[in-house]
Amino acid sequence: MLPGVIGTIQATEAVKLLLGIGDPLIGRLLTYDALGMRFREVKLRRDPKCPVCGESPTIRDLSIHRQTSDACATTENGHGEREGALATTAAR
Amino acid sequence: MKTLKEMLAEAREVIPEEDPAEIERRRAAGEPLALIDVRDPDEYRDGHIEDATNISRGFLEFRIGGAVGDPSTPVVLYCQSGLRSMLASKVLKDLGYSNVINLKGGYQKWVQSGLPVVRDVPMTPDQVQRYSRHFLLSQVGDKGQRKLLRSKVLLIGAGGLGSPTAFYLAAAGVGTLGIMDGDVVDITNLQRQILHTTADIGKPKVESATRTLKALNPDVNIIALPTRITVDNVMDIIKDYDLIVDGSDNFETRYLMNDACYLAGKTNVHGSIFQFEGMATVFAPNKGPCYRCLYPTPPPPGLVPS
Repeated sequence: MLPGVIGTIQATEAVKLLLGIGDPLIGRLLTYDALGMRFREVKLRRDPKCPVCGESPTIRDLSIHRQTSDACATTENGHGEREGALATTAAR
Repeated sequence: MKTLKEMLAEAREVIPEEDPAEIERRRAAGEPLALIDVRDPDEYRDGHIEDATNISRGFLEFRIGGAVGDPSTPVVLYCQSGLRSMLASKVLKDLGYSNVINLKGGYQKWVQSGLPVVRDVPMTPDQVQRYSRHFLLSQVGDKGQRKLLRSKVLLIGAGGLGSPTAFYLAAAGVGTLGIMDGDVVDITNLQRQILHTTADIGKPKVESATRTLKALNPDVNIIALPTRITVDNVMDIIKDYDLIVDGSDNFETRYLMNDACYLAGKTNVHGSIFQFEGMATVFAPNKGPCYRCLYPTPPPPGLVPS
């Protein structure tokens, strides 16, 4: 059931963005804890040192994905929306 | 008595004019411009600038308040050649709208400049009924529904996240849905990946997704992409879409989608889940942070829980 909540939020955001209405989740991370049944919001800021969208980006094309595709490949394949964990907990 | 020429000259003294190319640049940059088409409804239907609201000149004073609530919002008016809208602009200025711009040369010059226009195709009686609840919402309405029907959204993954996203976007009448997934349906998917059924086990996920979504809403054009997104195909695929929804299940894809969407200027609606926790955000290039602002590099493989 958990993916239904997040996927439906993604669909809602998509429609809002397509129509240009409301406040989209830009710069905000919405987290959902199903056991505690709590939503929380974390403000996100742009990082001026970001390697992609920062002031002096080092990633200007996708070549890094050829070099590191083995390094950041995950063993999980197919049916595991699992790796999100790290991101979720790190954001708290 | 004033002549038309004198009235136009008076209006030109207080109303700035901007070329179609300049207005398009401001629109593309996401500036908060309200575009008002002051021509008659039949002219508007035959072709207009996307996002423009049609308020015929005769109704301008009555309806402008509903379309543009804040009088400090920049308002761009246009008609066919730029004359009717110049007079209308003066009226808005007199009403207290402080930032009124007339589109120089009007719709005619816009078209001659090769800028994009949209044409309203009449909705079928079925569509009028199907989307009737959307028409009741003032923020969506007939105009919003047409926009959804013209929109193209790419879904990365037809699994746990992609299933509900695809279901609702198809139901809402998003006109084109690209669905990208290289996997086949496995019995272990069925406890949460609601696009697929028991009879679909062993079949490509994009195949069962297409069948389910078409049954829900035959209006929607489904583009089935039965392959994994890779560094070699990503740029070529995303270029055709207005918006990307990332419902992928691995870091490799998330970083690839983040970087590719930023480089292509595409907004990426991000979601991920783990056990009983989930998160969602929107990465809009240059309007907010990207995934790498949060996590500059992928975690080493050993740290990824399994």
